[in-house]
Amino acid sequence: MTDLATRRGLETDVYQPAEDSELLADAACSRLPSGGDGGDEDRPLVLEVGTGSGYVAARVAEETEARVIASDLNPHAVGQAADAGLEAVRADLVSPFADGAFDAVLFNPPYLPTDPDNEWDDWMERALSGGEDGRAVVDPFLERVGRVLAPEGVVYLLVSSLAGVEEIVDRAGEEGFSAAAVADESFPFETLTVLELFR
Amino acid sequence: MKESLLEILRCPLDKHELELEDAEYADDGEEVVSGVLVCSECGERYPIEDGIPNLLPPDMREETPA
Repeated sequence: MTDLATRRGLETDVYQPAEDSELLADAACSRLPSGGDGGDEDRPLVLEVGTGSGYVAARVAEETEARVIASDLNPHAVGQAADAGLEAVRADLVSPFADGAFDAVLFNPPYLPTDPDNEWDDWMERALSGGEDGRAVVDPFLERVGRVLAPEGVVYLLVSSLAGVEEIVDRAGEEGFSAAAVADESFPFETLTVLELFR
Repeated sequence: MKESLLEILRCPLDKHELELEDAEYADDGEEVVSGVLVCSECGERYPIEDGIPNLLPPDMREETPA
């Protein structure tokens, strides 16, 4: 059983890169424009929500021509992201960003379904727990992310079979998004999928 | 934070633009290391700490798990 205790390990402040981080980084890097010598004005603007250690944002900043903003609720996480050379912002999901600002928004959300009586109430729990159905953070994200996307903007969202991929696709549909699976990887207890959401 | 980030940031409460006050810059003159971002509409103030803007809404700012 994949549970918080085994995923937490010893780190209690900031979620460190794992298989899900790598899958999201690979998918985003392969689909965002790379190289090129366009000026600053032409660079795609990318936001990573819940950046944690900053691993995914740093990969995108290195491997594509995008300007990457990394945000997190967790002060320790934005500190690590800033130390990694990223433009970091402490934020609740997309709330402090301008309408239509981003060409892409990336999110590897907390998604592990969690018994409410069995939560830790520390930063690592916030990074992992998706509430009872695994979608307590994904649902508000889907509600709000459309506001900050440019007209042709896309979302790269990491989802797990543990949180119910179909339910998330349906919910995205209610918010006006079409969804395509652009990467997936199976593990003994879950399948991870990167969804590209577009309008 | 880079000053150009201001173009992307908004007040999390009412989505109005923010103005930079009391800014202190790093030696290279590019990075704002401390200061306050003030909403041009509601006047809410958001601190820049160690170069990182804290744009959490005020009711979430004090929320710190152990």
